[in-house]
Amino acid sequence: MMHQTIKRDGVETIGDPYLCLEGINKKYGLVEVISNLNLEVRKGELIALLGPSGCGKTTTLRMIAGLISPSAGKIAVGGRDVTNIAPHGRDMGLVFQSYALFPHMAVAKNVAFGLEMRGLSRAEITKKVAKALAMVQLEHLAERKPRELSGGQQQRVALARALVIEPSILLLDEPLSNLDAKLRDEMRAQIRDIQQQLGITTVFVTHDQVEALSMCDRVVVMKGGLIEQVGTPHEIYERPATPFVASFVGRTNRVKGKRTADGSIRIGSTVIRSTKPATQDDVVVMVRPHRLHIDWNAMSSEQDETANRTAAVLSRITFVGDVIQYHFDVDGSEFVVEESTKKSQVDHRLGDKAMLSWNVEDTLVFGADQ
Amino acid sequence: MTTATFDLPVVAQKSSNTVGIAVALLLPIALVNAIGFILPVLNLARMSFNEALPGGGIAEAFTAANWTGLIQDSFYIELITNSLMVSLGITLATLLVSYPIALYLHRASGAWRTFLTVLVISPLLTSAVVRTYGWIALLAEQGPVANVIAAMGFQPPRMMFNTTGVVIGLTEILMPYMILSLMAGFGRLDPKVEEAARTLGATPFRTFWRVILPLTLPGIALGCLLCFVLAISSFITPKLMGGGRVFLLATEIYDQAIVTLNWPLAATLSMLVLIIFGAALAVYSRILRMIEG
Repeated sequence: MMHQTIKRDGVETIGDPYLCLEGINKKYGLVEVISNLNLEVRKGELIALLGPSGCGKTTTLRMIAGLISPSAGKIAVGGRDVTNIAPHGRDMGLVFQSYALFPHMAVAKNVAFGLEMRGLSRAEITKKVAKALAMVQLEHLAERKPRELSGGQQQRVALARALVIEPSILLLDEPLSNLDAKLRDEMRAQIRDIQQQLGITTVFVTHDQVEALSMCDRVVVMKGGLIEQVGTPHEIYERPATPFVASFVGRTNRVKGKRTADGSIRIGSTVIRSTKPATQDDVVVMVRPHRLHIDWNAMSSEQDETANRTAAVLSRITFVGDVIQYHFDVDGSEFVVEESTKKSQVDHRLGDKAMLSWNVEDTLVFGADQ
Repeated sequence: MTTATFDLPVVAQKSSNTVGIAVALLLPIALVNAIGFILPVLNLARMSFNEALPGGGIAEAFTAANWTGLIQDSFYIELITNSLMVSLGITLATLLVSYPIALYLHRASGAWRTFLTVLVISPLLTSAVVRTYGWIALLAEQGPVANVIAAMGFQPPRMMFNTTGVVIGLTEILMPYMILSLMAGFGRLDPKVEEAARTLGATPFRTFWRVILPLTLPGIALGCLLCFVLAISSFITPKLMGGGRVFLLATEIYDQAIVTLNWPLAATLSMLVLIIFGAALAVYSRILRMIEG
């Protein structure tokens, strides 16, 4: 959920911009890896930086942490400019993909490290370490060395170590990508719960769209050092700003089309409509596979007000378990339709004819050069 | 299950084969070591209990006189402590100058790293004799180093034919060994771990002290062991740069064996060096256990 309670009374509340990146630019030699990045993260928000590898998401995170400095631009936290402050003065908790635990220290010592650097008393450190380890359910492993722990346990130690210093911002760099699928689901929920409990502003770097959509308040989709779109998971999924966002977040059909004189779109011999008019003559049409409906019997291709319809020929079937994918040929373009599987599946043969239909509002249209 | 029961005898046979191959491969070097190293050392040990006769003769005997003589003679006590102190000093100096270089090399990457590594190793391609003469030329009374110090308005210290010269020369000669040992032991030092320390609030100094140094201790221990052993057994550099005024174990063994022709005493001193090696190795493995534990 997005927090809409923005108060402008000088008190920081959930919703105020807290971490601000302004005109951030990063060059390595002549190669620009981040170009003019502007981003505001609200207090208490969990925001995802989502993109393929090399999109600049980790570079951005490292600049926020102060581990690399931007070539140009400004980074501010709670109004304080931290652009030129060394990492140890930034008060941020960073969880690495490889966990980066101190191999020569026991778990409790790892967690205590940040507190010792802050010069807390021994009694206070002991208390806080115990609390942090309890939060990630690892009290019983306090005296173990990191190498004696499983990947998931190491990950939780890294989380406890980053959180125990009560950082102003929590930074997570692909924290779940080294875990197996089942553990990843558990950790996803646990990280979200802890983040909500503490109300800590969090930046989460991931290449996994499911993680970004399921955990985060807002998602920043990046590509080639640029922000493609910033929005809630729902906005990103339902109203992608670019074809890249549409195809990176969730699965989608992608077919080429032409604009007609009345503003609708022609794919082969089929004419379809969208809620957003095409702005160019050559367009790309995208429809999510599970938003398509198959009518195996009806053969009329008459359009109605709310739905697009097209005749199609079944060309391939892929059974995935929970879903079954039907690949259709529509005048040389391929449409994939996903349906939930049922115990009694009707058999269809390749070459079967069917009508595909989908809502006009589910039709995403982009310019072909976007 | 069927495959498992079938596999078992095959595995057993295979392992007995591997043992046979391993023995066959190890046999030649074991023989060479037995004949070329273990037997002479045993012979040396035996000789250290023989009696030296004037004029280079050896009397077959079984006397501890050589050993007790070492402990009672203040010259030898000073020689041994001097050798130990100089070797430890050289080890420490080598460590201090090599550590930053090794750390930088560990962090370097690509062609630059290859180039620097070659640069580090290249002194090993020239003989220690040549390098020692190079140092003699540099550190001589009217040499370039003395001239630079004099030009700065200081009285140049004596750097040649004394312990200072030996320490300088050996430190430089042993640096490649130290750097390579350090780099070999820096495996656990992941740059991410340093970054983690930085983000947790550690200053660069405290990051070094609490994270980098402890994680590089295995490399330090290995490099120090190697350099100490090489320093205490080095002969050419102390002989040439000491100018006959620096008395160390290796030079004394040479003098006893070649000049004085007191082979039993030379054998005793050689055995002492071996004992020191053993002690150094024991200290090393003890330290390593402490670090790893």
